[in-house]
Amino acid sequence: MNGPTKATQDPTPFEKVVEFIDERVGLKTIQAKMLNEPVPGGSRWAYAFGSCLLFIFILQAVTGILLMFYYVPSTDHAYASTQYIIHEVDYGWFLLSYHFWGSSAMVVMAFAHMSQVFLWGAYKKPRELIWLVGLVLFGLVMGFGFTGYLLPWDQRAYWATVVGVEIMDKTPIAGDFLARFLKGGPTPGQMTLSRFFVIHVMVLPAALAGLAGLHIFLFRKAGPSGPFRGTPEEIKAKTDYFFPRQIWKDIVAMATVFLIVCSLAFIEPVVLLEKATPDPGDYHPEPEWYFLFLFQLLRLKIFGGQFGQFLGAIAIPGAFMALLAALPFIDKDPEKNIFKRPVALISWIVVMTGILIFTVSAIINREFLD
Amino acid sequence: MQPTLTAKVIAGEKEVGRLEKVIMDPLSHEISHLVVKELGGAGSLRQVPVQEVQAVPNEEEVQMRFSADGLERFPVLERDQFVTVKEVEIAHLEDNIHVEPGEVLVPLPCLEQGVPRRMFFANMTHAIGGLIALPLVFPVLKYLMKPMYAPFENNWISVGNIKKIKKDDSGVQFKFTRTFKEAFMPPQEVEKNIWVVKATPKTQEAVYGGNDKKFMDHKGDVVWTNKHNAPYVAYSGKCPHLGCGYKWRNVKKLGGEMFLCPCHLSIYDAAGKVLDGPAPRALDVLPIQVNAAGEIQIIDVEYKAGVNDQIRLL
Repeated sequence: MNGPTKATQDPTPFEKVVEFIDERVGLKTIQAKMLNEPVPGGSRWAYAFGSCLLFIFILQAVTGILLMFYYVPSTDHAYASTQYIIHEVDYGWFLLSYHFWGSSAMVVMAFAHMSQVFLWGAYKKPRELIWLVGLVLFGLVMGFGFTGYLLPWDQRAYWATVVGVEIMDKTPIAGDFLARFLKGGPTPGQMTLSRFFVIHVMVLPAALAGLAGLHIFLFRKAGPSGPFRGTPEEIKAKTDYFFPRQIWKDIVAMATVFLIVCSLAFIEPVVLLEKATPDPGDYHPEPEWYFLFLFQLLRLKIFGGQFGQFLGAIAIPGAFMALLAALPFIDKDPEKNIFKRPVALISWIVVMTGILIFTVSAIINREFLD
Repeated sequence: MQPTLTAKVIAGEKEVGRLEKVIMDPLSHEISHLVVKELGGAGSLRQVPVQEVQAVPNEEEVQMRFSADGLERFPVLERDQFVTVKEVEIAHLEDNIHVEPGEVLVPLPCLEQGVPRRMFFANMTHAIGGLIALPLVFPVLKYLMKPMYAPFENNWISVGNIKKIKKDDSGVQFKFTRTFKEAFMPPQEVEKNIWVVKATPKTQEAVYGGNDKKFMDHKGDVVWTNKHNAPYVAYSGKCPHLGCGYKWRNVKKLGGEMFLCPCHLSIYDAAGKVLDGPAPRALDVLPIQVNAAGEIQIIDVEYKAGVNDQIRLL
């Protein structure tokens, strides 16, 4: 007679521990709920961008914490401690360079994620709030880039901040207060470094972690939007759970991102310029590449003068973000297929081409300055 | 046998109502009452103790102990004294009861029943929370604003000798080091630069427009006056467009040497006037004096960039 074997009768001590914990925490239910999310129309590579953003953020947090073991946020030590990380600490150059390139990866991935959601029509009802929270998260990513750029306290850092804060100063009514608040005084100095540091390592991470949690919670509540083509029956037939196919695609995408960021850190490690000082010397100030299009935009004469500057630096970017925020409430057409939404498709192409042209012309302009 | 919801409720061989909801004890997880919707009368929901159930012959029927007209003696359900299990957290609920969460009612705690003040308590909680936060707003704001507005310094700083200037109407850079004392930090030296032009009368006219230029402190008192016919003109090293550092260099496009800012490509002539680019105003003239030995002294005044008028920052 074949009775149950002894192994199935008596759980191993490990299984007992798991069982003990599970009974009290409900881990298996949580895990099941996380993995068994139905993905309408099945898994896709295009859905991996959001997971990649989370992955990049986690690694930014890890490398950021590691950098703080040596970094000192004071005007007389920031530069020296960053140089120490690069030149003296084992693998310091790598961690710093990973953190540096990771921030670029974050911006690129945020653009990809937003574009995917836009093109797939996934911002439409009932996902308006996911889109809105996502826009705030995008703002936070930009804030991370801006505040983190100052911390090494070299010339590049200093001048990007000088110009960036001058731009914020052009905000109507609150501009002067905002600029002084960020600088902690009339000109950049220790107070600016302290403020940017605390915003970069405490305020923004807390805000991003909380809002990313809300973003995912809202996403889980509404469920994935699914493909923009196909009848309900076709979509239902292809529907799959989050695990294993989508998770597989996500982890492959994450590994790819990781390899690219590592390669960039190896090929183009961070090199500091001279220590920050209000005399730029031979340095031609320039912001980080993802702000270059805005930088180039402000070189245009129509965005010159006090009003032009307000127009180019505040009004147009502000209006663009406001338009994105209003998008799900303006565009109430339930049609998700991008090929049946000509205005949306053309707008996306125009915006992306515009950013590309301005970025490239900023790079071309460099040569004329040397 | 378990009856399904909407099962017929039979009393004295007669159908008297339908099973609508069940009421559960939140601690024992036992069903305490059935909620029966009357077929006759006002069709109200009545709360019948579960002990009244005699038998459940099949899933669609519940037989009661009371007689056909007995349903009326049971109290009408006071819906506002209950919450659904969607609205209350009950541990291991799904282990015990196999119904949809919306169909099971749980009575409010005895202390809460018939209490019309729930909204009052909710408002009070918010009000007290607000009262905790309110007194913090002003101190926190003042705390963060401490270094934002500093009085202007009006010290004269030596930057170099006029012997360095070889040519009229040509920009010459003078670098200088300035000691800054910021809050708790030890005094720090920062490098800055200004540009000095030995101006021909024509350029002097272009810079000053025939009027002396007065410089004020934060109270509006005059600190220094630049004479309109003084030959040496000093410009702040900060580009009035967005605060970068500009250079004196050959600009092929305009054919000649002039001030060019590499950031956003603003171009100024020797008199500081905007020739090209996005700058909103001319270069900022600094208070300058040259002593008998030819030493140039300036006050390091800084203005806000990007606006039409000069607004002093430093």
